[in-house]
Amino acid sequence: MRGASEDGNSITWCSDGQRAFRRANVQTMFHRMPAAPRFLVIDDEKQIRRAVRGALLALEGTMSEAATGREGLDLAASERPALVILDLGLPDREGIDVCRELRTWSGVPILVLSAREDAREKAALLDAGADDYLTKPFDPVELLARARALLRRSVGAAERSRRVAAGDLVIDLIQRSVTIRGERVHLTPIEWDLLVALSAHPERTLTHQQLFSAVWQGRSHGDAQAYLRVHIAHLRRKIEPDPVRPRHILTEPGVGYRFSL
Amino acid sequence: MGIASRSEGGSGRRAEWRAGLAWFGALAGVAALLVPVRTWLEKTHIALAFLLLVLAASATTGKRVGIGVSLAAFVLFDLLFLPPYSRLTLENPLDWLVLASFLVTAVVAAQLLDQAQRKASEARDRSAEIAQLATLGAEALNAPRADLAVSGVADVIRATLPVERCVIHAADPDRASDDLVTAVLQRGVAFSELTDGTTHALRSDTGQTGEWWVGAPGRVTRLLLPLRVRGTTVGALELAGRSGFALDPAQQRMLDAMTFYAALGVERGRVEAEVKHVAALEEADRLKDILIASVSHDLRTPLTTIKALARGMQSYGDERSEIIEQEADRLNRLVGDLLELSRISAGGVRPDIEAVPVDDLIGAAVQRIEGTLGARRLEVSLGAEGSLLVGRFDLAHSIRILVNLIENAVKYAPVDTPIAVDVTRRGRWIEVTVADRGPGVAPDEVERIFEPLYRPSNAPPDVGSAGLGLAIARQFAEAQGGTVAYAPRDGGGSVFTLRFPAVDLVAGSGAD
Repeated sequence: MRGASEDGNSITWCSDGQRAFRRANVQTMFHRMPAAPRFLVIDDEKQIRRAVRGALLALEGTMSEAATGREGLDLAASERPALVILDLGLPDREGIDVCRELRTWSGVPILVLSAREDAREKAALLDAGADDYLTKPFDPVELLARARALLRRSVGAAERSRRVAAGDLVIDLIQRSVTIRGERVHLTPIEWDLLVALSAHPERTLTHQQLFSAVWQGRSHGDAQAYLRVHIAHLRRKIEPDPVRPRHILTEPGVGYRFSL
Repeated sequence: MGIASRSEGGSGRRAEWRAGLAWFGALAGVAALLVPVRTWLEKTHIALAFLLLVLAASATTGKRVGIGVSLAAFVLFDLLFLPPYSRLTLENPLDWLVLASFLVTAVVAAQLLDQAQRKASEARDRSAEIAQLATLGAEALNAPRADLAVSGVADVIRATLPVERCVIHAADPDRASDDLVTAVLQRGVAFSELTDGTTHALRSDTGQTGEWWVGAPGRVTRLLLPLRVRGTTVGALELAGRSGFALDPAQQRMLDAMTFYAALGVERGRVEAEVKHVAALEEADRLKDILIASVSHDLRTPLTTIKALARGMQSYGDERSEIIEQEADRLNRLVGDLLELSRISAGGVRPDIEAVPVDDLIGAAVQRIEGTLGARRLEVSLGAEGSLLVGRFDLAHSIRILVNLIENAVKYAPVDTPIAVDVTRRGRWIEVTVADRGPGVAPDEVERIFEPLYRPSNAPPDVGSAGLGLAIARQFAEAQGGTVAYAPRDGGGSVFTLRFPAVDLVAGSGAD
């Protein structure tokens, strides 16, 4: 895979040159962690913090709460949580700035909560280093599922398997082959690179910018995004059982694509 | 220049007299020198010597002295150099011819020389005048603010022309207090009011500013000229003097140039105002975005709490919690719709139009809605087998349009009938149709169903919507340069069609 480099347990995504973030030594961090994971929720609304606590009850972790961005950053530094849930409507700072600052020294997964369904804001947040994005009012079950996916991903980051299986779809990274129910599918080099980039981060939305960097190693400009979309559409028609109801490659309108197992 | 030279009269005449006397003296001197040798000289030598003197005199002191010197030279020529000497009569009658030619040559030469000199000095004056006007105009226009520039030009006009008042009106016919000013602004013609109280429209053959003044009769109490920039009237210039005024050609030229500068000043004001207006709009836009974001946050945060609590209650087996959750979802959709509609009506929708495969649109819309459909079947096709259609549209908005159209079909069509979603390419357009077997729309309601909050007469009472879906769909479609339209379906039901431009991607960009 080009653009995104992987060496052992650190992955570096270059989103656009200036804004690069690093998820480093995730595994080391987790080894030192107690059995129960620690979560941090940064939200000025007490009721939302309560709702998040309720939703994540099933994870059997301990929860720290912060009402401001400053407090949240301090707690994130002192407690080293396994997951940060960050609300965008903070009284003291822009959520995106909290996200960027956190990313300068931490690789902790960040799940953003926003009241706005705004694709541009979403893409900007993901490019700034957020891992996922949920719109209010969120379904507690959905929040739990996303939080689980983020935790699993960071634990499993190091031992990324050489083989990805998603339902009938099997991607073999060593053989460089894709099969559906054992039958081999022929992909073009670009389609292969896209599929590898997407499947490397299941359940996580990759922005157009991130995909473009991963596959073309450059900035997307002009119609380049249209070509990216066309390649995705062709890829879908090859690997999705029903392209009308895609199961594996999901569109996040205005943001990018997400690979779903 | 004309305006400045009026006061030079008295001293000029005295200097002319002195120079004239000097030239007469010079003539007498030359004559005295020549008289002793007159018997050896030819008549032509003498005539030429005198002619030189005449030319020198008229060249240095003007026509009057030149002609005086030529007459004196004529008399001296006759008396002193043509026999019989000291008498006006001539011995040889042919000498009259010599004398007459001398006189005519001398006078004509003096005239011509004078004319040429006058033209030259006029040209000098004119260019000085133009330079002065340019400086004045440019200085006035260079004022830090447009209104100062315009009043600066008015000050220059008042100071240099014999008028009491000079007003520059910007083109705003609604605010013009005067009918005549309004007429000038609207029709671009010039008017003059005379001392006798009559008003005359001034005609212009060329439409050039300077031409208006030609033929304005008599003394004027009020003069209105249109100010034009690139053929459009941007304002009016008003000059007034209670006792009436008239302008000499130099002043008319001056007025011409100043009207031009005034027009530029007014135009500068208009452009500055426009820039300010745009900045104000951008600021309003920004504030509106902040407002919508904060209203959105404030409304959705309690909904999140309600939803989470309802979920919590469900685990205790309270069935009412399910209703609470559904109602919270409905309220959330309504909040979203109202915010969207207010954004649209405030002009705040900025579609993000890109080339997108239709697969993306259909897939995302189906994914978003299929979970809410229950037993209802959605029959979706992506158009002709194997062809990948690419359109130019805003993906997020189009998903919303399609979801709204499908939700609308779900509301009205019987539960056991499928809803069909199809994609076709028609020339330069791509059409996505949503067809149902519902009751259709009455012909007189076809346009009204796209109005916000409109509920058709045959809507079931529990349809559960505020009637914003189709309005939002249409507004979004139009904002991205497409349409949403209704047509009755063959065999009963409705077909809603979303149209947007198709894109033909360059070869090689597709599947490699």
